[in-house]
Amino acid sequence: MTAAAIFAVIIFVVMFIMIVLDKIERQYVTLGCGLLTIIVVFGICMRSGEAIWETLAVKSFATTDFWYQVTESESKGINWATIIFIAGMMVMVEGMARAGFFRWLCLKIAYLVKCRTVPIFITFMIMSAVLSMFIDSITVIMFLSAVTIELAHLLNFNPVPMILSEIFCANLGGSATMCGDPPNIIVGTSLGFSFFDFLSNTGVAAGICLVVCVLYFYIVFKKELVSNNKGAAVDMSKLPKPKDAIKSKKDFIISSVIFGIAVILLVTHSVTHLTVATIGLFIAIITLISSGRTSLELIKKVDYKTVLFFIGLFIVVSGLEETGILVLIADFIKNISNGNAMIMVAIIIWVSAAASAFVDNIPFAATMVPVIQSLSSAAGVNISTLAWSLSLGTDIGGSATPIGASANVVGTSVSAKNGHPITWGKYCAKLAPATVIVLAISTVYVFVRYL
Amino acid sequence: MSQIIISIGREFGSGGRVIAEALAKRFDIPVYDRHLITEIAEKTGLSHDQVEKYNEVPKSRLISRRVRGFSNSIEDNIAEMQFEFIENKAASGDSFVVVGRCSETKLKKYPGLISIFVLGDMSAKIKRIKELYNMNENEAKAFIEKKDRKRKSYHNYHTGLHWGDSRLYDISINSTRLGIDGTIDLLEDYIKARINGSQK
Repeated sequence: MTAAAIFAVIIFVVMFIMIVLDKIERQYVTLGCGLLTIIVVFGICMRSGEAIWETLAVKSFATTDFWYQVTESESKGINWATIIFIAGMMVMVEGMARAGFFRWLCLKIAYLVKCRTVPIFITFMIMSAVLSMFIDSITVIMFLSAVTIELAHLLNFNPVPMILSEIFCANLGGSATMCGDPPNIIVGTSLGFSFFDFLSNTGVAAGICLVVCVLYFYIVFKKELVSNNKGAAVDMSKLPKPKDAIKSKKDFIISSVIFGIAVILLVTHSVTHLTVATIGLFIAIITLISSGRTSLELIKKVDYKTVLFFIGLFIVVSGLEETGILVLIADFIKNISNGNAMIMVAIIIWVSAAASAFVDNIPFAATMVPVIQSLSSAAGVNISTLAWSLSLGTDIGGSATPIGASANVVGTSVSAKNGHPITWGKYCAKLAPATVIVLAISTVYVFVRYL
Repeated sequence: MSQIIISIGREFGSGGRVIAEALAKRFDIPVYDRHLITEIAEKTGLSHDQVEKYNEVPKSRLISRRVRGFSNSIEDNIAEMQFEFIENKAASGDSFVVVGRCSETKLKKYPGLISIFVLGDMSAKIKRIKELYNMNENEAKAFIEKKDRKRKSYHNYHTGLHWGDSRLYDISINSTRLGIDGTIDLLEDYIKARINGSQK
């Protein structure tokens, strides 16, 4: 192993440990480690200006493919498309939240099912999955869990089963589309897949799993859900009205229209050839223009920490890629699976899931994308099969523990702050079995459909 | 000084809680310590035991994660609720005594804050804890060290500053020197001097 490879591994391991220890904010960790990668690995060890240039990938902005993609292409280094798309969607989501869209939607659905506990339970799970297909799961869970607790206090039911189910479905819904979960955006933009590619592959798997997990959660939580309510008629006059959630009718209509445009652009982007970077930028621009004087506040609300975290992360992963470490990992997977595609798929799904249950799935996915690329060319397995396996493993695996995915952290935090703490034991007792069931279904799905 | 907020940091066994309660009585203001647990329990619907279990203890970093200000750690959430509670009390203009909860740092912006750290000789602390908890010397020493380790870790995590560092507090006092009652008297004089000083 070369000195460059050794330093790349050391930097990567240190970065991972520091992210887990949470002593320093994670964006500083990845940016610091990214800077070290550029100076030590590319500069001192490799003396390669080209590697630095490729990693920074600034020239990609000037290529037509970055904005308008007719042929599939793969990206290397900092995945700017992912970053621009995520930032753009953050602006749109902030505009929607400000207008009261999410709270209105939650209350509207609760009213449609006449505020009965079990129908709320089922519709909120489905809503969580569907919204997470287009919007980041953090925002979805932030609003959904807050409304769930509000309704639980008014209707006298335990909100914890509902919040746990919503968290699980948000992660599952995120696996269905290219923009549902950051690992999918990374996989999609790095390997040139479209929104529709995801929807027709991981989306089908997520749909099957959603049916199973709605049934599972209903069976597991049935007792807890109905115990306090005892079938009493609900006095809906005491409940907050959906229309009261709308802070400004004009902003509400505008943000709903922009959300509709975003969905249409994403669903049709394989036909229009607009890349996710273009869509993200366009959506951000129309949100800002329509916000008028409040646009500056919207920009300030963008989670720059996450954006910076991504930039640093991509640089560190490039260090592993440029020094050949990821090819070694791919060779290792190929050797232990004896070139058997089924074993390879099983390893990718289950190892990705196990890792994502305990560490952030974003660095894991970013690291694994070049690994599956190497594995595909070395073992002759279709890259799309490995990509769907990676997406399903990382997205679903994150549901197993309270720290596996961002939605879990937000949901458990909102619950605790409102008097319903969710311990590791309570969380894992219900969601870890659900994760294993859904992973097993996904594995069988990939085997049957692609191998 | 229209508002006084007396923040008492303390080593375990130094008598900090007793001192805080006595000062609250002398200045006729409420004290938030165990009462803070009750307030949080009432506000959230949690049981007293649940709040107590996670009160002023550090989270386990390996099984915790923070995302955009949200944390899955129950310890973190209880701590934040307590910080919010004392912050709201301070913002409302109320005068009170607060024990621990990183209050010397969290309430630093309030001009009425008087921050005190109470420490004690290990031998004196052991003697106190032996009597209070019916322990032998070794058990008491281990118990004190364990409690202080937790307080230090909790404080340093939530403030990024060193627990017990005299530069954080207006006054640090060893309660062994004057005894608990003597310490209370001295602190009362100090607080009165601060109040009078601010009125001049």
